[in-house]
Amino acid sequence: MLTTVAAGRVFDYNYCIGMYGMSGQGFWSPQDFALADDNVMYVISRGAEELGQRISRVTQDHQFLGQFGANGRGDGQFVWPRSITLDNDGNVYASDDFLNRISVFDPEGGFISCWGEAGDGKGELNGPCGMAFDADDNMLVVDSQNHRVQKFTHKGKHLSSFGSHGDGDGEFNLPWGLCLDADGNVYVADWKNNRVQKFDADGNFLLKFEAAPRSGVGDLHGPTGVAVDSEGDVYVTDWGNHRLQVYAPDGRFITSLVGDAQQPSPWTQTYIDANPDIVKARRRVNLEPEWRFRRPVSVRVDENDRIFVLEANRHRIQVYDKVKDYEEHPLNL
Amino acid sequence: MANREDIALMGHLMRRAGFGASHDELRDMTENGYEATVDDLLNPERFEPVDDDLLFRYMPGYEGALGPPLNQAEWVYRMINTERPLEEKMALFWHQLFATGNSKVDNPPELTQQIAMFRRVGLGKFRDILVELAQNPAMIFWLDNNGNHMGAINENWGRELLELFSMGVGNYSEDDIKEASRAFTGWTIGPKIPRNPLGRFYWNFEYRPEDHDDGEKTFLGHTGNFDGQDIIDIVVNQPATARFLSRHLYNFFVADEPQVPSWNITPPNDPDAIDQLVAAYDESDGDIRAMLRVLFNSDFFKEAQFSRVKSPAELVISTARLAGNFSAPRPGFNSLAFECAYQGQELLNPPSVESWHTGSEWIDGGALVRRVNFAAGLLGDVSLPGVKSIVANLRSRGALSAEDMVDACLEMVGPLEVGDITRAELLDEARSGGELRWDTEADVAESEKRVGVMLALIAASRDFQFA
Repeated sequence: MLTTVAAGRVFDYNYCIGMYGMSGQGFWSPQDFALADDNVMYVISRGAEELGQRISRVTQDHQFLGQFGANGRGDGQFVWPRSITLDNDGNVYASDDFLNRISVFDPEGGFISCWGEAGDGKGELNGPCGMAFDADDNMLVVDSQNHRVQKFTHKGKHLSSFGSHGDGDGEFNLPWGLCLDADGNVYVADWKNNRVQKFDADGNFLLKFEAAPRSGVGDLHGPTGVAVDSEGDVYVTDWGNHRLQVYAPDGRFITSLVGDAQQPSPWTQTYIDANPDIVKARRRVNLEPEWRFRRPVSVRVDENDRIFVLEANRHRIQVYDKVKDYEEHPLNL
Repeated sequence: MANREDIALMGHLMRRAGFGASHDELRDMTENGYEATVDDLLNPERFEPVDDDLLFRYMPGYEGALGPPLNQAEWVYRMINTERPLEEKMALFWHQLFATGNSKVDNPPELTQQIAMFRRVGLGKFRDILVELAQNPAMIFWLDNNGNHMGAINENWGRELLELFSMGVGNYSEDDIKEASRAFTGWTIGPKIPRNPLGRFYWNFEYRPEDHDDGEKTFLGHTGNFDGQDIIDIVVNQPATARFLSRHLYNFFVADEPQVPSWNITPPNDPDAIDQLVAAYDESDGDIRAMLRVLFNSDFFKEAQFSRVKSPAELVISTARLAGNFSAPRPGFNSLAFECAYQGQELLNPPSVESWHTGSEWIDGGALVRRVNFAAGLLGDVSLPGVKSIVANLRSRGALSAEDMVDACLEMVGPLEVGDITRAELLDEARSGGELRWDTEADVAESEKRVGVMLALIAASRDFQFA
């Protein structure tokens, strides 16, 4: 259903962006994205083996502005690009969980620097994944295979870290994405433990989002990304279950969104329209599997509580609005 | 304490029922006992499957692979990293027997689904496997059963079911093919969401009763209103099927046979062994697990060490397992898939439904050079974890004479038995460096290098080409 009403919230499907593309317009196994000013978005594609690694610069209204980065181990290149975030100046930071480094680009994609040393000591990285800047412009990085979160200056000087391997409160098993809320609290997608954990800015455990004890509702299978809206609701890409889980600020489960892209993106529609056989084939099948999320991997919420969900295996972003002034229609229509 | 012969026999078992094992693994298995290890191999559910979540976290492009070689690389990953080696080896066996190729199917994820089906049912009853195969979308498209209609049959599937997949030529008539094809009308696939630009989507098997010929048929002497399952029931009860399947299992697991197309005029190399497998088939109602239990515990199997030429997949996978540098998700599995293809076995894309010719036909001048370069390149690289482990094992033995060094290296890579000529050449190389010593850092560096050279020479030997 295009509009989901649950627990006083309304989530309304709006549109989708993107399609598969080995290079140029499109994404390939995208892993993360960042929302910049002026409707610009940066989408990082992992590709496969030696092909497809890049950062695409696109707008929310479907303009392809260009791409930067490529496969390789040199400056500005990637082997396993994973996550992306922006600093206060709009510079682009991309993690590579094979090369164990963070690459920095200017907003136009010009390479600035990279930092990161492989290892498990303080400030060393083993599989850097999700990143986010705090109010002081310091960067939090999920150091996934060291099962911790580390804080660095934007130039890569280590400041602090928290977390260790395990399944207790404050412990992690291959964590993936993270985000901060307006108060500086940290939310970490604890992938292999099937939960999201919330910490204060100093890394003290506060809360977890996971299956309810008895009913099991709100369960997660390999959560990858997490975002918080202006009202404190928490959105989690439930990668293994191909859905977006929504929780109240206190951890109570609200609802699931499963993907509603009934109308292809303009890029996709152009591709379809250019291929008469594909037009013909699509008229003979149930297209519902195409609407649904497939490996949702990252979620972001903008200042208007518009929710963007990136799907690794459908190579696109589905966009929902959290409607604040929704009036229920007569149910006896 | 395991003796050398027991470890050698276990090495033989693991080369055939899997993709080889390290010396440490073989020692542990030998402690467990031969028959107990066979039992473990035959019951893969006792061990954890490959962690799909972990694989797709790091290699998302492998899931629903958009094109080759990503689907091939995904299978290579599984073959190297499985804890259920026989399950994966059986998938390779069935792939070689029921050869289905991307050259026509042009749908890599469907081929991956077919392999997953072999993994799921490959140790079960032959009847169930054939039913699954007949309903497998990739196979239906590969052999045109989607074009097999009531009143307008397409014989491709019906013919290959009998000729290549179950009985072999000479055991049925052209009329049997036509009747079988009639029985499989209506077994088809529907349209799917087309590929791109949102990735790949899957076919589904569909049975369309309005397109099924429900009339009376006479097949292999039986008459009735048969459908596809009835045909398979008749097929699996044919003596020719038991013999044909037994010979395939022997050829794949025991020793090279003449090429398959000659089987109707060329008797098996070991008729008694085939008889034992046929008896196991008959006694177990065509249960593959039961047949393999007889096979692996038989004298004819135990006495057949190094009597098969490794297929490219076996050579590549077993060498990569031994070298130890592909034991987790990492870039480069596609290079191993390419390597199989360069050596003559492009996985998931056999040359035809007749599959690859095996045995000595795996080897020609070009393929041999690639095989040697690949294996010697990996085993000669002392920076790789598996090779480091071999070096550490040798170092733990202290100073080694040339003879001891050669024996130890051969023990570590098989154990491998080599002929007199190979052994003499290996000894010449070993003697040229004198005793292998570990007393000083310089000794260690030199000895590591010499072990790498020795392993590369072994990998380049004629003997290493055999499983």
